Amino acid sequence: MWNLGLGKYRTMVISIALFLLFDLGVLVMNFFISSEISSDAANVNIVGRQRMLTQRMAKASLQIESRVIAGQSYRDLMMELDRASAVYDQTLMAYINGGTVPGTGSGDFVVKRIDDEKAQKMLADAQEQWAPYRDAIQAFVRSDAPTLEQAMDVARNSEVVNVWLLTLMNDLTTRVEELAASKATVLRTVQLTGMLLATINFLIIMFHFIRHLRRSDQALERAHRETDDILRTTQEGLFLLDADGRVGSQQSRALAGILGVQVPPGSDFLDILRPLVTPKVFDTAREYIDLLLRHEVREKLVAGLNPLDSVEITVTRGPGMVETRFLQFRFNRVMEGEVVTHLLVTTNDISRRVRLERDLRESEVRAQGQMSVLLQILGVEPHLLQDFLRNASEGLNLINQQLELQPAPGENLLTKVNAIFRIAHRIKGDAAAVGLESVAQSFHGLEDMLSGMRERGDLVGEDFLPVAVRMKALFSEIETIHNVLTRMAQMRGVVTVEPARPKTEPSAVANPIVRQWISYAKQLAERHGKQVDLVYQGMDVSDLHPVQREAVSSIVNQFVRNALVHGIERPEDRKARGKAESGRLAVYVANWGENGIEVSFRDDGQGIDQAKLRAAVVRSGRMNEEEVGTVDMRRLVSFIFEPGISTRETADEDAGRGAGLDAVRDLVRKLGGQIRIGMTTGEYCHFRVQLPPVHESLVSVPAITSQEAAA
Amino acid sequence: MKLMIVDDSNIIRSKIARALGKHGLEIAALASNGQEAVRCFTTVRPDLVTMDLTMPNMDGIECIRRLRQINPDVRVLVVSALADKATAIAALKEGAQGFLHKPFTEDDLTEAMDELLGVRNG
Repeated sequence: MWNLGLGKYRTMVISIALFLLFDLGVLVMNFFISSEISSDAANVNIVGRQRMLTQRMAKASLQIESRVIAGQSYRDLMMELDRASAVYDQTLMAYINGGTVPGTGSGDFVVKRIDDEKAQKMLADAQEQWAPYRDAIQAFVRSDAPTLEQAMDVARNSEVVNVWLLTLMNDLTTRVEELAASKATVLRTVQLTGMLLATINFLIIMFHFIRHLRRSDQALERAHRETDDILRTTQEGLFLLDADGRVGSQQSRALAGILGVQVPPGSDFLDILRPLVTPKVFDTAREYIDLLLRHEVREKLVAGLNPLDSVEITVTRGPGMVETRFLQFRFNRVMEGEVVTHLLVTTNDISRRVRLERDLRESEVRAQGQMSVLLQILGVEPHLLQDFLRNASEGLNLINQQLELQPAPGENLLTKVNAIFRIAHRIKGDAAAVGLESVAQSFHGLEDMLSGMRERGDLVGEDFLPVAVRMKALFSEIETIHNVLTRMAQMRGVVTVEPARPKTEPSAVANPIVRQWISYAKQLAERHGKQVDLVYQGMDVSDLHPVQREAVSSIVNQFVRNALVHGIERPEDRKARGKAESGRLAVYVANWGENGIEVSFRDDGQGIDQAKLRAAVVRSGRMNEEEVGTVDMRRLVSFIFEPGISTRETADEDAGRGAGLDAVRDLVRKLGGQIRIGMTTGEYCHFRVQLPPVHESLVSVPAITSQEAAA
Repeated sequence: MKLMIVDDSNIIRSKIARALGKHGLEIAALASNGQEAVRCFTTVRPDLVTMDLTMPNMDGIECIRRLRQINPDVRVLVVSALADKATAIAALKEGAQGFLHKPFTEDDLTEAMDELLGVRNG
């Protein structure tokens, strides 16, 4: 029943209840005894009246006697005697047995039987004396005509009894007074005891609470000290924001240092923030804080929107000293039940982290610079690149052999360093020459390492360990270039990468040779119901040696004819295959200087129909059907350069007689060049012709004409 | 738990549907803009909504407002690539309870959804 949610206040409530109980007890006792004492005082009065009545009865008796003798009327005295004796008798009986008596003032007075042996004894004596005297008075008062003897008898009787009764009533008065006095003593004792108990209770309460208070004060002080220690020591800036965005009274010592400004308790956090950040960040921060304080969102789910998660601020440190820092503010809700009362703000200086991340990003950008290595590779002439890679691999292997070679006893390891240095130096030179700047840099690093070893002298085998590690990196660098080249080779034909340039360079269109190719292509297209665009890229054909110029012109014309007759499909067929209606011929001529020139011709037609080619080979009588079924692709395609092979069953002025490509082959052979062909059925056909530089002895080339080709 | 996915990209829609379907939520509706979302919402009555912010025909913020008018108890997770944090905060003030940044992984999404459901359960 004490579990009324009083908690720590239980003891106090019990103590106070006890205190009140004691007080109440004293009060009740006080009241009770006081009323007793006041009734005792009335008793004293009434007992006093008895004395007075005794006297009056005696006096009346004697007066009656003298009036009887004098023959005067005594009626009034008789009535007084009767009244007095009646009151006296009633009072005496009331003291013996309890009862009501006429009061000394108005009304009746309730008399209790006196609970005292001595007093009762006195009363009994008084009764004994009184009873015959009373009877005598009664008889005298009741008689119609009392005689003189009767009157004299009552008078004599009263003289004797009066003295007795007076004495007894005096004693009784004394006794009653004694009793009242003893009650007053009891009352004082009770009052004193009550006071004493109340005081003891009060002292207990005091002691108990002082002890409790001191204990909780100590706990509070300890907690306070711990909080102080935490706030003094933590490296983070910590403080609380109340629901109005004001800063709490407690904050960590690091806070002012991190923010670069003092944060007075009670100040508005936004006022402090405003000068530190941009207006945009400030606005977002204000909204974000409001969101956390006043809206039902998940703290964890909105953390990503904190605009102060990483914010750059400018801190003034002394006159003219300005420092830029990156700070992180994190906000955590402090809840009381379901209500957000505060936000705990944690601030950190994350400049170091941010700068590290920035460095990392920069190094990523550098890594993207590797892309430029790729572009370097693309810029290198393929033959040179091939040679370089071969030489570099050989060189690296030689260095490895040097490293693995067990040194002969007493051999100077410096010799080994020098040998490796020479090889590294050569590869570096090669790389720089072909334009692979990054590879040259890597080998330069190896050189530096070896130079250091050379200068130190006094080498042991373990000194070569870093060289071996470096070698691994160099191998992988060369390997990467190999891989890139392989990938590029695989992509050729699968992915068409054409730079977004004007379809045909204006200067090239202006060139009469290119113009002739374009018009020839259009002319043929019209004749065969096809559409075509010829695009030229590359060097100015007019700059070619006359012999080469003539050869290139003839070869391209031949390829154009071949493409329009065999390769490019009719517009409707192209459309059905998802191609542009208009076919595309891409011509490219490059001058490799001492390595001669290259002519590239590519059409996006249907490629070479292998079935038709097999049939044509059989038709020409070069192979029978069985042989042609087993021949590989490479050999089969080479038949298109053979005279008398045509996939067209009927000849017209443009093709069908199996001449044309064989003429190209003959011409290229005469000039000492070579032809390669690449194609994918249904997609494209690509011819690449390489011609060596022209020797001055060669003056003219037999041209291919359409007449010859058709012949 | 019935879920409605609102996003104008069908790739994102199917990504969310796959991930949260596996996670045990009932995919009750897919909507590609705000108008569609409001229409579906009244008939399907989903408990949860993932909401893109930039969409044609009523943007996400307006859509959240309408959905909350229909059912104030609906839980909304904003899923957006928005670089502008202020707009996302405005959406949350409109009554969404969480924000998930695009691009996200499947784990990011399920974690965010668990966190969102935690609002109701605890």
